[in-house]
Amino acid sequence: MKRNLNILLSLVVLAGMILTACGGAAATQAPSSNATEEPSTSATEAPAPTEAPAENKVATFIWTQEFTTLSPLYASGWFTTTTQQFWNCWAWLYDETNTPFPSLVTEIPSLENGGISEDGLTITMHLRDDIKWSDNEPITSEDFRFTWAMTVDPKNTVNSTYPYDKVSAIETPDPQTVVMKFDAPFAAWLILWKGIAPAHILQPVYDADGTLDNADWNNNPTVGCGSYNFAEWESGSFARFVRNDNFYDEPAKINEIFIRFVPDDTSQTNALVAGDADLGLFVPYSETPKLKEAGVTIMTEPSGYNESWFFQVSEEFSHPAMLDVNVRKAIAMSIDFASFDRDVNLDVVKVPGSFWDSLPFYNDPAVQPYPYDPEAAKALLDAAGWIDSNGDGTRDKDGVEFVIQHGTTTREVRQELQAVAQQQLAEVGIKLEILNYDPDIFFGSYSDGAPVYTGELDIQEWSDAPAFPDPDIYYWLCSEIPSAENPSGSNSFYICDEELDALLQLQATQLDPAQRQETISKINQIFHDKVYWIGAWQDPDVWAVGSRLSGVKFSGVSPFFNITEWDIK
Amino acid sequence: MTTASSLPVPQLADDLSTPSLTLWQLGWLRFRRHKMALFGGVVLILLFIFSFGGAFIYTEKYANFNDTSQRLLSPSAEHPFGTDSIGRDILARTIYGGQISLFIGFVAVLIETVLGILVGALAGFYGGAVDAILMRITEALLNIPTIFLLLVMAKFFGGKIPDIHIGERAFSGSVVVIVVIIGATSWMYLARIVRAEFLSWKEREFILAARATGTSNLEIIFYHILPNTFAPIIVSSTLSVANAILSESYISFLGLGVQEPTATWGNMLDKSAKYLDTSPWLWFFPGMLILLTTLGINFLGDGLRDALDPRSRTV
Amino acid sequence: MLQYIIKRLFQGIPLLIILSLALFLLMMNLGDPIATMGGRTLTRPEDRERLMRQLGLDKPIAVQYLYWLIGNTWTKIDSDGDGIPDKNGTRLGILRGDFGTSLVTRKPVTEMIGERIPNTLILMVASEIVTIVFALVLGIYSALRQYSTLDNILTALLFIGYSMPVFFISLMSMYIFAVLFKKWGWPYLPTVGMFDPQVGKTSAQVLWHMVLPVISLSVIYFAAYSRYIRSTMLEVLSQDYIRTAKSKGLPRRQVVYVHALKNAALPIVTVIGLDLPFLLGGAVVTERIFAWPGMGRLFLDHLSRADISVVMGILMLVATAVVIFQIITDIIYAWLDPRIRYN
Repeated sequence: MKRNLNILLSLVVLAGMILTACGGAAATQAPSSNATEEPSTSATEAPAPTEAPAENKVATFIWTQEFTTLSPLYASGWFTTTTQQFWNCWAWLYDETNTPFPSLVTEIPSLENGGISEDGLTITMHLRDDIKWSDNEPITSEDFRFTWAMTVDPKNTVNSTYPYDKVSAIETPDPQTVVMKFDAPFAAWLILWKGIAPAHILQPVYDADGTLDNADWNNNPTVGCGSYNFAEWESGSFARFVRNDNFYDEPAKINEIFIRFVPDDTSQTNALVAGDADLGLFVPYSETPKLKEAGVTIMTEPSGYNESWFFQVSEEFSHPAMLDVNVRKAIAMSIDFASFDRDVNLDVVKVPGSFWDSLPFYNDPAVQPYPYDPEAAKALLDAAGWIDSNGDGTRDKDGVEFVIQHGTTTREVRQELQAVAQQQLAEVGIKLEILNYDPDIFFGSYSDGAPVYTGELDIQEWSDAPAFPDPDIYYWLCSEIPSAENPSGSNSFYICDEELDALLQLQATQLDPAQRQETISKINQIFHDKVYWIGAWQDPDVWAVGSRLSGVKFSGVSPFFNITEWDIK
Repeated sequence: MTTASSLPVPQLADDLSTPSLTLWQLGWLRFRRHKMALFGGVVLILLFIFSFGGAFIYTEKYANFNDTSQRLLSPSAEHPFGTDSIGRDILARTIYGGQISLFIGFVAVLIETVLGILVGALAGFYGGAVDAILMRITEALLNIPTIFLLLVMAKFFGGKIPDIHIGERAFSGSVVVIVVIIGATSWMYLARIVRAEFLSWKEREFILAARATGTSNLEIIFYHILPNTFAPIIVSSTLSVANAILSESYISFLGLGVQEPTATWGNMLDKSAKYLDTSPWLWFFPGMLILLTTLGINFLGDGLRDALDPRSRTV
Repeated sequence: MLQYIIKRLFQGIPLLIILSLALFLLMMNLGDPIATMGGRTLTRPEDRERLMRQLGLDKPIAVQYLYWLIGNTWTKIDSDGDGIPDKNGTRLGILRGDFGTSLVTRKPVTEMIGERIPNTLILMVASEIVTIVFALVLGIYSALRQYSTLDNILTALLFIGYSMPVFFISLMSMYIFAVLFKKWGWPYLPTVGMFDPQVGKTSAQVLWHMVLPVISLSVIYFAAYSRYIRSTMLEVLSQDYIRTAKSKGLPRRQVVYVHALKNAALPIVTVIGLDLPFLLGGAVVTERIFAWPGMGRLFLDHLSRADISVVMGILMLVATAVVIFQIITDIIYAWLDPRIRYN
């Protein structure tokens, strides 16, 4: 009797949970009201988020990834470099059209104003004379030279010496002049000087320790040159920046920026919807409707990135079918990227036709993506000799079944695309095997046997960009093909196309935009005609701006270029 | 006056004696009385029918069929459990996911039981240096929180095993990885129990007798002592299945478990966290199925423990 | 007794060293810590070579392990990339207390762990207290009122609690107490982090944010503990000396709490003592769901970036704590139970 009661009660509890779920399932998404939500049992008198007192304007940003360091020398991750824009300074910034404008320099060096020498081997920058660090020390050419010297110094474990390793020497004839010397013309020189290090603070540290790796300033930059000063950073929780009242330009309107770290996109969305945050970033497309309903504005800013499918074309490693350009075209036409973008990415972005999709100057005339045309694909495959001779649903030729591998990371939307692609390729008779890896395994090195380099992945997918806003790329160079002698090569596609290789090398040296445009257009066309690359979706920065903020503009290169104009209503 | 000796002596003792019961028969009788355990057993049988029988109603092709225009539909007549983020039917996915989850649970426990018995038996029987080494290893592994060990091993083996093709179906290689690592990180508890049992059993007289007649050690271990230890092994293994299924769901939730496109209840829950409030059917159904399975196993194990307890001879 | 402690400590050391060796070997195949150092693009080839050398990743495994164990101040390393070892290293090795520096943040591992330990401890100690209190109450009540209606209800509920995956409880409690409560306009619980940034890190905030994670963690544990306490109490209550105490006419309360509970305390203390060091590992899943900045999340974040120093640091810290706590538990056990003596 008592045991029966147990069973009955178990069922009651289970029923209760089912009812809970039903109650939730029938509910709609919109939050009920904008009522302030401080918990009634909280002992502190906290002002509700929507009523911040006018004297102290605090904006809350959500970062889904915590920065690993604050130092421009050791910076790598996007969140790290972007956070520096608050408290550090760039030589030139980019506006919402991604056009550079001078910030620390008086004007951007060019061939016309003599800033760039005729042979392209010398670039001279003239600094403003009113710029200073937050401790009132002036910013001089010595700071620039120091930044360069420290970056290329082998005693410092910086994440990347690029692009400073292209500069062979820096001369500082006077405190306002910086002369950069190059061994070869470096067309992408504009990507230099995204953040500088204070020589007057760090030189003594270097002299004492022999390295800057352990400098306290890296994680606690007491001196900066941006519109905000670093205040504090509690690992795993938050970081705070307060307005720099010593700023050499117009001071910012918002007093304090509070950055909160959350583990995933869901928490970010929840915080934005609840009004607990004013800014979010890299919002997944699927979350955009929920945010819009909550009054959050979604702004997309091209930053050069596109979700890309890279084809491996190598006689040694690839499946024989992949060596045929018509087969690759057929694959490109068998997958309905447009519908995927419409349904899963909620139409926020389109299918890019070119690797330089976000740089219209270099994608002119714009290359169009291959249309979704399974019938045409089948025709191409038939013509190429790949027919299903044994009736197993998969095409074959000379006894080889058409089975190829597609590899990418474990990110959910990529896995979703893989499942869809697998089905659509099966419809045209191609069997796609799906492989997923953690990012640090996927992007590992040749010597580590990273999946992209083993040759087993016929199609590789990740999001990549040229050196935006510079169109420079280097993966497809023949010299980048990895091998035992060249283990750090990055050409995981094993493509060595002589015509392409020559053009790639040429564009890196062309300082004249018109000439460069011509070269890149040819490369663009090759990518399309030979189907070395196809785009899945554009991958711009997706910002979620809360309703309290005004005056917000973004750039794809320097997102916070106008942060001093942001205000809280 | 009649004396007792002139009356026939009734054969009471023989007629009224009950047949003696083996431990198993006794156990079964007691188990039958344990309503919760029976309930647990029934639930498990139903879940098995759901997962393996359901395959006759929905083909695997249907379970994997995606149509992005049908994504995130709430439960309806056509899709009783709703659809997921790329339009796959969730009922069909839970059926096939159930096969994998249950498979992982049982096979992992199989591995764990074999390892646990081997280590425990050898350590308990031989004692001395063998015992010391084996127990140090056991303790060393017990010193690390299981979830850490699972995560490290999952990362270690990640992506190294290719897809497996059995007949028409393809399984992600990560299923093998998960089975192995769960088995390899949970045998320690069983080893300790088996060792304790062996320590106490090996001093019994019948073992001395067996040794005296020259029976080999291996025979003693596996034919004489081991059968007596089945009861606690069965109980422990049964409960471990629940643990294995939960472990699989934890690792999958953290993203290191079975990879797409193979579905398991655990990785279905992982994908549902994003849609917590907008599409609760994504987490509700796989979650309930895991809950029912572990609940059933726990009831069953509890009942088995009471039924097979050799110290209690009441029926 | 002192001899016993020393003997156990000595036994523990080779255990830890073998463990560290085994774990280190596992670390080698976790992935490439340099892979994601390029930020959003792939790490450039020139940088990869340089970073391998600077971070000491180009050395064979045995050498890397040696440096991790005893440092490299006694040998020369190549600090400027010309292929010739010139300067002595600066690492002391874990045996001298240097846990190394994180490959990802370049901060000392001890500093990173130190920042997170208090957060984890707050959460876990609170959960443990809640668990013990509830488990004692429920366990004793169940034992005393065995087979009563309430006992059966509780048993059923506890079984269910015990059977749920922890994240299911978290998700459900998040759904009910945060999403649904908010929808119905009731005061709702926060689901992210330790405190609300606008308000600051006050005790009230932390307590309020702790509610949901603590619920998630305690449910499973007190379900398990209360069953254990119940069965232990039942066993003790059936002993002869309890019958003696009752027949002597001692008040019920005294019988249960003084005589029965004291004897039942032994196995309970053992179980709690052995579980305590695992608190340091934090609750990986719960911390991830609730964005609690603790050790569990640190482990997960850095495991996914193949940050060997941090992962090894956390694992060895927990393992050492377990060894120490086992010894402490044994000692307390011996102190509580006069029948046990260690020689």
